[in-house]
Amino acid sequence: MGDLADKLMEELECRTPFTIPIFGGIPVPESCIMTWIIMAVLVIGSIIFTKTMKVVPKGAQCLVEGFICWMDNFFLEILGPKGKKYLPILETLLLYIGISNVIGLFGLRPPTKDLGVTATLAIFAILLIQYSGIREKGAKGWLKGFKEPMAFMLPLNVLELVIKPLSLCMRLFGNVLGAFVIMELIKLIVPVGLPLVFSFYFDVFDGCIQAYVFVFLTSLFMSEAMEEE
Amino acid sequence: MGLIAIGAGLAVLTGAGAGIGIGIATSKAADAIAKQPEAKGDINKALLLGCALAEATAIYGFVIALLIILFLK
Repeated sequence: MGDLADKLMEELECRTPFTIPIFGGIPVPESCIMTWIIMAVLVIGSIIFTKTMKVVPKGAQCLVEGFICWMDNFFLEILGPKGKKYLPILETLLLYIGISNVIGLFGLRPPTKDLGVTATLAIFAILLIQYSGIREKGAKGWLKGFKEPMAFMLPLNVLELVIKPLSLCMRLFGNVLGAFVIMELIKLIVPVGLPLVFSFYFDVFDGCIQAYVFVFLTSLFMSEAMEEE
Repeated sequence: MGLIAIGAGLAVLTGAGAGIGIGIATSKAADAIAKQPEAKGDINKALLLGCALAEATAIYGFVIALLIILFLK
C-alpha cells in the first residue's frame, strides 16, 4: 500500500523539466511544455488544412468544415445571434481542452492534470463571462444584474463569481486526475493490452465529454450574463 | 493508517448520490425520448449537462479521498 502510494505520488507530481536561466531561473513546468506541443499541433494542423482550401470542399476539408460548422451551430444556438463575436475564443477553448485531455492516449501527461492549468482556464472563463455581460448590457446593466431577481439575492450573486470558476476548475481537474490515476493503477497491475481498452474510455470519451461540458457551461453562463431584462 | 483508509472510504460515499442522480436523469431522459423521439437532440444535451453537474459531486468526493490518502499518510 505504501509502495503504491509512493509510486502514485511520484506520477501525480507536477515536474519541472528545466528552468530558463535568466532572472535567477524561471521554472518551466511540464504542463507548459505540453501546452506548447498542443499549440504546435493546432497551429500546424490549421495551416495544413487551410492551405489548399477550395470552394467545393473535398476529403479532409469536408471533415474539418463539418466540424467547425457543428461547433458554430452549437454555440450560436446557446448564445443567440449576439454571440457571434465570441465564437473563435470558445472554439479555441474547446479544441485546446479537448486535445489536452486526449493527449494521454499517446502516453503524454495531460496538462489539465495540473491544478494551475484548470484554475487558469476557469478564471479566464469567468472573466469572459463578465466581459460579455458588461459588453452587451453596459456597466450599469451589469451591476444591476447582481440584484436579480430580488435585492436580497445580492450576496449570493456575488458569491457566484467565486463558485462558478471554482466548480468549473475542480470538475475538469478532478475528472482528468481521476482518469489519470486509474490509468496509472491499471498500468501498474497489467502493463500490456488492458490499458489500451480503458484508455479509450478514460482518455478519449471522458476527455471529450469534459471538454464539451466545460465549454458548454461557459457559454451557458455567458448567455445568462448577456440576456436583457 | 486504518483511520485514514476509513476517512477516504467515507469521502468516496459521495459517489452514491451521483449514481442516484444520474440514474434518475437517465431514466427520465429515456422516458422523454420514448414519448418524443423527434426531440432527441435537445434531450441528449440537457441530459449531458445534468449528468455532468451530478457527477461533479462524486468527483469532489474522489479528489478529497485522494488528498486524504496522499497527504495524510
